[in-house]
Amino acid sequence: MTARGPASWLTAPGVALIACVFLAPFALLVAMSFWSQPNGTLLVDPTPTLVNYERIFSDGYYLRGLGRTLWLSLVTVAVSVVLGFPVAFWIARRAGRLRRLTMAVMLLPIVCGALLPTLGLVNLLSPLGIVNGTLKSLGLIDRSIPLLGTQTGILIGLVQAFLPMMVLPLVAVLDRLPPSYEEAAKSLGARPAQVWRRVVLPLAAPGLIAGSVLVFCASLTSFVTPQILGQGKIATFAAMTWQQASLVLDWPFASALAMVMLGLMAALGGAVLVLRRGARS
Amino acid sequence: MRRFALSGFTILVVLFTIAPLLVLVFSSFDDGKFFRFPPRELSLRWFRAAFASAEYRSSLFNSAVVGLLATIISVTLGTAAALGLQRGALKSRAALEMVLLAPLTLPLVIWAIALLQIYAWLGIGGTLPGLVLAHATFTLPFSVRVMLATLSAIDPGLELAARSLGARPWRAFARITLPLALPGLATSAALSFFISFNDVIVSTFIAGSSWMTFPVRLYSQLRGQGIDPTTLAIGTMVIASILIVVALSELFSRKALRT
Repeated sequence: MTARGPASWLTAPGVALIACVFLAPFALLVAMSFWSQPNGTLLVDPTPTLVNYERIFSDGYYLRGLGRTLWLSLVTVAVSVVLGFPVAFWIARRAGRLRRLTMAVMLLPIVCGALLPTLGLVNLLSPLGIVNGTLKSLGLIDRSIPLLGTQTGILIGLVQAFLPMMVLPLVAVLDRLPPSYEEAAKSLGARPAQVWRRVVLPLAAPGLIAGSVLVFCASLTSFVTPQILGQGKIATFAAMTWQQASLVLDWPFASALAMVMLGLMAALGGAVLVLRRGARS
Repeated sequence: MRRFALSGFTILVVLFTIAPLLVLVFSSFDDGKFFRFPPRELSLRWFRAAFASAEYRSSLFNSAVVGLLATIISVTLGTAAALGLQRGALKSRAALEMVLLAPLTLPLVIWAIALLQIYAWLGIGGTLPGLVLAHATFTLPFSVRVMLATLSAIDPGLELAARSLGARPWRAFARITLPLALPGLATSAALSFFISFNDVIVSTFIAGSSWMTFPVRLYSQLRGQGIDPTTLAIGTMVIASILIVVALSELFSRKALRT
């Protein structure tokens, strides 16, 4: 140790906590997914077997759940891009109090967790809730539109919960894009649409990709919002996993379901890396 | 014209983002057992019920205890780690940072499924130490991030000046850097506490009946019986305390900037 004082060993306790409590369990998950639990018992048989994976990929229930979840996640990403890009652009062009306020609002869903907003959404979307109540009193509908227990309701909840994950990386990227770039393109004769397509979009692409990956992974693995807003009628893949782990108590099978989600995310991450390398060379 | 369109769109999207929380607050003042819009009568009935309920009080107490203990660990380890990252050898910085921030990038549900099994083997499932350990882990990256930003804004020359005037390393740190880092410490403590307090994703896997936190109780109730208006009142109070803390820290940091 030199007299310079604290140095890298100060990271040791934090790194140890994450390595032991956070990263190590993932290793166990891999092993666990190849074990089995004989019917009717809670004892785990540690003989390596593919029985859990065979069950997932041969049972229509899980495959349909996976397809439904992938679809919901993709639509959530698409809607988040459409809603999030203009907002991020607006924030990046602001400074001072208004910017800080908007950023704080965007952070609120993260601090409030998954449940409090969901509680509000139930009252917003229920048959007697604010959306239906307003439409009825305006005379636009005479019977409530079902929103709870439908995919639309779940989508609204997912977009609301994960939009900040799209906006924050986009703001980080757009902050580094000075308005002078657009002005330069304009003064060289580019039309507004051309400025967007040729200047803004390529420079914002890393943020767009990062945000999309984050929103996709968050939607793919979310179970609280879909379960409450879907009223238990629409099972997403993560909700099925939760059910196996917490209610059925078949942990090897739950581990295999979790591994399928993890595998999908790893594939997505790998694809993004390959694409990026391809774009650079 | 296009400017106004962009601003208008932004306001709508921001409103959409906080609409659920606004509705939660609004509907907690509705007198009915089942919320309906437009409301018939407004009252504080559910707030009185919230204070009267021993059941909710105990789960809120559990959440607060877990949150406080996790916050202490998260802020202490997070500050130390940020200092180490900032002042330590640069070679390993990227790798260490990636490990420290891993809980932000890997999904917590998948982790919780693995943790559930490990906790069962260790026999700490559903116990206070088990919950605190898990909550400290997933709040740590927030502390690390905030403290990294805080420390990098502090001029290292100040501490060096104190040292050249004869202060010992620890004293120079405690008298110079620590006071300057106070706003950052407050922010990371508030973030850690509320993220822990509101967590349902991890806790619903590892919390048992002996240490049932408020969000876990709320979640199981929502799945089973639907909304109890008392929980709307509690939710409103949680949101109010978040806003108070944010406002206080804003005031606090502005004052710290001025002096």
